[in-house]
Amino acid sequence: MGYGDVQMIDENGNRVDGRKAGDIRPIEIELGVVPVADGSASMRWGTNYVIASVYGPMEAHPRKIQRQERAVLDVRYNMAPFSTTDRFRPGFNRRSREISKVTSDALESVVLLELYPRSKIRVEIEVICAEAGTRCVGLTAASLALADAGIPMTDMVVSVASGKINGIVVCDLNKEEDNYGAADLPMGILPNSGELVFLQMDGDLSPSEFQEAWDYNMDAALGIHKLMKEAIENKYGGGQ
Amino acid sequence: MAQPLVPELLRAHLAELASRDQRADGRGQWEGRDLSVEVGILERAEGSARVQMGDTIVFCGIKFQLQTPYPDRPDEGGLMTSAELRPLAGRHIEPGPPSPESIEIGRVVDRGIRESGCIDTKDLCIIPGEKVWQVIIDCFAISDDGNLFDAFGLAAIAALHNSTLPGERFDVGEDRKLPVNKTPIMCSFQKVGGRFVYDSNREEEVGGDERIHITLGEGDHVHSLQKGLKGVFSASEFVEIMGAAKQRCSELRKIVDSL
Repeated sequence: MGYGDVQMIDENGNRVDGRKAGDIRPIEIELGVVPVADGSASMRWGTNYVIASVYGPMEAHPRKIQRQERAVLDVRYNMAPFSTTDRFRPGFNRRSREISKVTSDALESVVLLELYPRSKIRVEIEVICAEAGTRCVGLTAASLALADAGIPMTDMVVSVASGKINGIVVCDLNKEEDNYGAADLPMGILPNSGELVFLQMDGDLSPSEFQEAWDYNMDAALGIHKLMKEAIENKYGGGQ
Repeated sequence: MAQPLVPELLRAHLAELASRDQRADGRGQWEGRDLSVEVGILERAEGSARVQMGDTIVFCGIKFQLQTPYPDRPDEGGLMTSAELRPLAGRHIEPGPPSPESIEIGRVVDRGIRESGCIDTKDLCIIPGEKVWQVIIDCFAISDDGNLFDAFGLAAIAALHNSTLPGERFDVGEDRKLPVNKTPIMCSFQKVGGRFVYDSNREEEVGGDERIHITLGEGDHVHSLQKGLKGVFSASEFVEIMGAAKQRCSELRKIVDSL
């Protein structure tokens, strides 16, 4: 069967796992999953399973990486060797490096780094089980881990992707859909302001499809943000 | 990383406790931390386990690959063990290529599994001389509060017992359970404050001296030993920890075999 030939959405608009176009996969959040870290969080998102831990603020060494006026963020995204169907060989990987960088760029946009001059905050993201959309899960889990570490941020970051299968725009593609997907639009959204700190896209979307994908992401982000707030309130007590 | 002053205070503290037959977290000399072992928890692995010992948490995932057998052993599959200490698991773990410590752990876990014969490499043969399975044991630290050796060793054997050979996915026959005939168990001891203790936590690791890792199989057969870090120990000390290892290994074997 050729690329794009497989029917992934039935005549009633149901997707392979029974979701409607705008639905996201089930999400479970747990905080404090790495007891030795200053903050940590895990997200199960579909069959994605991602753990993020935060260490710091701590002294930045070597000194040449120090910034006089702010903290530096040191963000790493990595896939565990058993996280994929075919074993993921450990070691240097261009994809992981790029995702680490854009994740760092996103988090730097919200963390109040100027509160911690000359220090370093380490953010470690490990994909334990990969389905599809691990970069979104990683970024979202990282912002939860930063919150768990008590690091001040202007907002949480909620990351979610929409894409296109069989010519239909859908939110939060699963593995099967991702294999046949014709586009992918991951975004990192600040739920309180609606601003973006992370944006990537590949594939082919018409202007109207693009708008639809954008809107799906914005809507989904609000729902995910609610779950994130609940997880934090459950551990630390209600806010506001 | 240089830690000149504080470890000396820690060492003095641990020595003082040891002189009163105590440990920093209140455990007895041969007492392990609270333990939990879960299997079959990772969807993408053909076998998996999660082990928690106190605040030390590890995963182990088993993956299989097809390979061509070595010419001198045409009907035997392969076995590979790796241990990853990613900086996720502790502030003391630096990013970068595998550290000597992580390589040591991987190799010690590997020897215990391999030498116990719990996996008969001939069971991994598909077509002699052409196609055999390679078993890859990936140990992965989530939270390092000490004694990753035992956590990895336990997770590895528990995950192996829980593994399925993915014949269908590789188009070489039906899926079948990986035959695992034995349950080798590693027990680790470290000299802390001048005496050996079982299952040292991170504080004891930082303030302790040499460690000794013992892997025992069925009938208390010894399958691997490793002495690590600086320090000397006597024959009578070794006899003592071997006695403790025999008791603890059989307790842990019961836990793994009941999963």
